[in-house]
Order: sequence, then C-alpha cells, then structure tokens
Amino acid sequence: MSHAKKWLQTMKISWVKNTAYRFNFFLQVIGPALIFFFVKYSLWKTIYKSSPEEMIQGYTFTAMITYHIWSFVVSMIGQGHSALDMAVDIRMGRISSYLIYPFNFWEFHTASFLSFQILQIIISIVTLGIFLATGILESLSFFHFFLGLSASIYVSLFWFVLQYLTGIIGFWLEETWIIRVSLQVITVFLSGAVFPLDLFPEVWRNILDYTPFPYLTYYPIKIFMGQEVPYLKFIYTLGAWLITVLTINTIVWRRGIRNYTAAGM
Amino acid sequence: MGFLSEIKHYLRVYRRYLSTSASQAMSFRTSFVLLIIMDLLFTGSSYFKISFIYDHIEVIDHWVRHQLMFFVTFMLALNALNTTLLSTNFWMFSDDLKTGNLDYILLKPVSSIYIVFFRYIKPSGIPNIILTHSLLIYFGMQNNLGFIEWLMLPFLIVLSFTLYALIQFVISCSMFWLIEGLGINFLRLQMQELARWPDFIFSKYLRTVFMSAIPILLVGSGPVHFIFDRSYWYLIPLMLLLCFILYYLLHFIWNRGLTHYDSASS
Repeated sequence: MSHAKKWLQTMKISWVKNTAYRFNFFLQVIGPALIFFFVKYSLWKTIYKSSPEEMIQGYTFTAMITYHIWSFVVSMIGQGHSALDMAVDIRMGRISSYLIYPFNFWEFHTASFLSFQILQIIISIVTLGIFLATGILESLSFFHFFLGLSASIYVSLFWFVLQYLTGIIGFWLEETWIIRVSLQVITVFLSGAVFPLDLFPEVWRNILDYTPFPYLTYYPIKIFMGQEVPYLKFIYTLGAWLITVLTINTIVWRRGIRNYTAAGM
Repeated sequence: MGFLSEIKHYLRVYRRYLSTSASQAMSFRTSFVLLIIMDLLFTGSSYFKISFIYDHIEVIDHWVRHQLMFFVTFMLALNALNTTLLSTNFWMFSDDLKTGNLDYILLKPVSSIYIVFFRYIKPSGIPNIILTHSLLIYFGMQNNLGFIEWLMLPFLIVLSFTLYALIQFVISCSMFWLIEGLGINFLRLQMQELARWPDFIFSKYLRTVFMSAIPILLVGSGPVHFIFDRSYWYLIPLMLLLCFILYYLLHFIWNRGLTHYDSASS
C-alpha cells in the first residue's frame, strides 16, 4: 500500500470512529462550543439590554455578538482537537503496535487530526449557515471568511502540536488530562474567547502580546470580521511558536520512547 | 440494621474512601500539585472574567460588581466542593459501565449508588475549597450581609450542593442507555457552565426550564437571590422539594438503568 493510501485509510477510520457515536460526538465536541456561545450571547444581551447602540470598548451589541459567533467558529476549527487518547495509549502500552507498524505514531495521530478537522469545518459551515438564516449573523463576506478559515486552520496546526505535546508527556506523567484542561482554561481566558482582548486592562494586553494566546482566537476573529490585522506578524509569530513546540515534541518523544516500558507486553 | 447504625456504617466506609483516596493522591505527587494549580487557574480566570467586564460597565441587569462577585464565588465554592468530593466519580462511572467493573460494585453490601458516586475523593481540591470559601466570606462582607444571612449561608451551601449533586447523579444515570457515556460527562459540564451565571441573564422561557424542570440555575441563583432579597424566600422550599423529587427520581432511574445494564465483562 502506498504511503498516501495509508494516510487516507487512517483518515477514513478516524472519520468512522468520530461519527460512530454521533450523540456522544455532539455532546463532547459541538455541545460545549454551542453552550459557551449561548451563555455569552445571553450575557451580552443582558448587558446591552438598555442601550444596544452603546459602545463598550468599540463594540456595539451587534459587533459583540458577531465577535462571539466567529469565536465559536475559531474554537471549533482552531481548538477543537484534543489528544484525549494519546496518553492512555502510552500508559497502557498500546503504542507498541505503532512502533512495529509501517505507519508511525505521529502519522497516525496527524491523519486522525486531519480527518477531525474536515468534520469540524463542515459542522462550522453548517452552524454559520444557521446563524445567517436566523439573522443572528447579519452578513458574511466570502473573502474574509476564507481568510479567517485559513487563519483558523493555521491555528489548529499549532493547537495540534501543543495537544500532541500534552499527550506524549504521558511517558512520565500518570494523568496528562490535567495539563490539557489547564491549557484549555488559560487559552480560553487569555486568547479572547470569553470576550475581546480590548476589554482587558492595558497592562495585560501588553504582556499578552509576547505570548501566543492572542493569535489563537483574537486575531483569527478579527480576520473573520474583516478588520485590520498585522497578517505578517500573525504568520511569523504563530509560525515561530509552531516550530518551537514541534522541536520540543521531537525531543520529548525521543526521550520518552527510551523511557517507555510497554506495559502489558 | 437500625437507621443510626446504618449511617455509622456508611460513614465508616466513607472514612476508608477518604483514606484510600489520600494515599492514592500522595502516590502521584506531580499530578497532585498540577491538580491544585489547575483548580487555582480556573478560580482565577472566573474571578478576573467578571472583574474585567465590570471595568467597563456599572451593572449587569440590576446587579453591581460585588453582588455578581458574591454569586460567582458562591458558585466557585460549590464547584470546589463538587470537584473535590464528586467529579472523579462521574468519569469513573462511564468507565465502569463500559468495562463491566460495575459488576463488582453491585456485589458489595453497600448501596451501589453510594459507591458509584462517592467512592473517589480528590484531596488536591482542598486548597481550592479554602480559597473559594475565603473569597465567599470576603464578598459577603462587601455586600454587608447581616447576622441572619451569615447564619443561613452554611445551610444554603449544603442545600445547593445537595441539589447540584442530585442533578448530576440523575444526568449521569443516562449513561446506562448509551454505549459511550463520555459525552454525558461533557453534558454535565455544560450544565455546570450554565449554573455559573445568574438566572436573569437567560430568556424567560429558558429561565423557567432551568429553574424547575432541570433546576440547574436554581443551584446558585436560588440561595443568592434569597440572601439579597427575602421576597425570594419561596425559592428555598422549592429547592428542598426538588431535592426530594430528584432523590426518588434518581433511585427510580438507577433501578431502570440496572435492568438495562448488560455487563461488558460477563
């Protein structure tokens, strides 16, 4: 079997796995993002109740809701993936099979990630269609949509390597979900997923500029909204972080595999 | 066995659970420290989230900053109790159902509901319980709570926690009817997310649903409304009534669920 076919087959298997238990997939992946959006919508509706045209740090009610709709899309595409099974595979000794297969561990997980991403993009587009049809989202520029989509996919690559890192820490740590959840909590808060970073105090904004967080949600949303964004800075900064984490992953994997005891073998 | 001796028996079992959970937690010290950090991060982000919003506005509906802060810390305190005393059990339950480990629980001479939902305790949550309850006292003082309110507060926390736990137990029972129960745990987490906000931010229809049929909003909004305004007194008996209903509903669903359980390991 050619290498491309192996990737395709793995993607197909992953697709089937993800869609086998649809209700579970909905509750685990789509539900949290939808509820998160719903809570934010309700909160801002209450805040702007008396005067929807009032500006809060440059956001009217409509602008704020539009921001959160795009936040939903970015969180689905950019930060939807999680290395849920990776650490368990390591702990239970299941990665032994990958070590002898002609398709290695990272290839398997990357192919699964790609399949998951296709699913997430489809779901996001359908949800956007619903938002448009119901009038929650007033308009959509296809040009900015494709720019934003590209930015979100770029973010998802960084998110994937970061999640991969939390997974392979399983060589040393019993419960890596703690790191994953901590990362999620920090990212949701500091990336502008809860509310625009413009609402943060200036000191926080200045510090955040030196971290990858604003590039994970805030900048992609701004791109979707068609606002002025330093594109090159976005690409370079996230790219630099991507390469850094990839390098760390390679080192961690090499050291981890020396540590691996293949439990149960 | 008399009622009192039965209570004593269950308390003795719980003491064993505490002891084994503590030993287990101490065996994985890095995880223990990371869990403390994770809880603190969550509490911190929840606190700053509200604080930053109030930097730009005066009120949300009719609540000023220290009122919403009191509500948020009330929910954070409940959340800390929930994380420490219950949350691990929900995740283990979905695993036990899938692997058939529930068989062994059913054979034990203690109520299976008790073992399933109280077996695992997370000692790493204790620092967060202390922090969130201290914050609750601080924001209670900011709101100038009177003597009666302070006296009522521990009772209200226990009542809210009981309701919170029962809602989650009932939701978790739906795992009996699913092959993969993990999603139900995410549904439970989403219910928690809803409960972290006061009822008045939601539309009238949703408020009615989540204050009565699935009373998740009542967990925080009920006691806090009552503390700020006595005219909301009726929410407290409503919470008590719902606790009783949910208690019997839990037993009913649990027994139905057991008849549906097909024991993966047998």
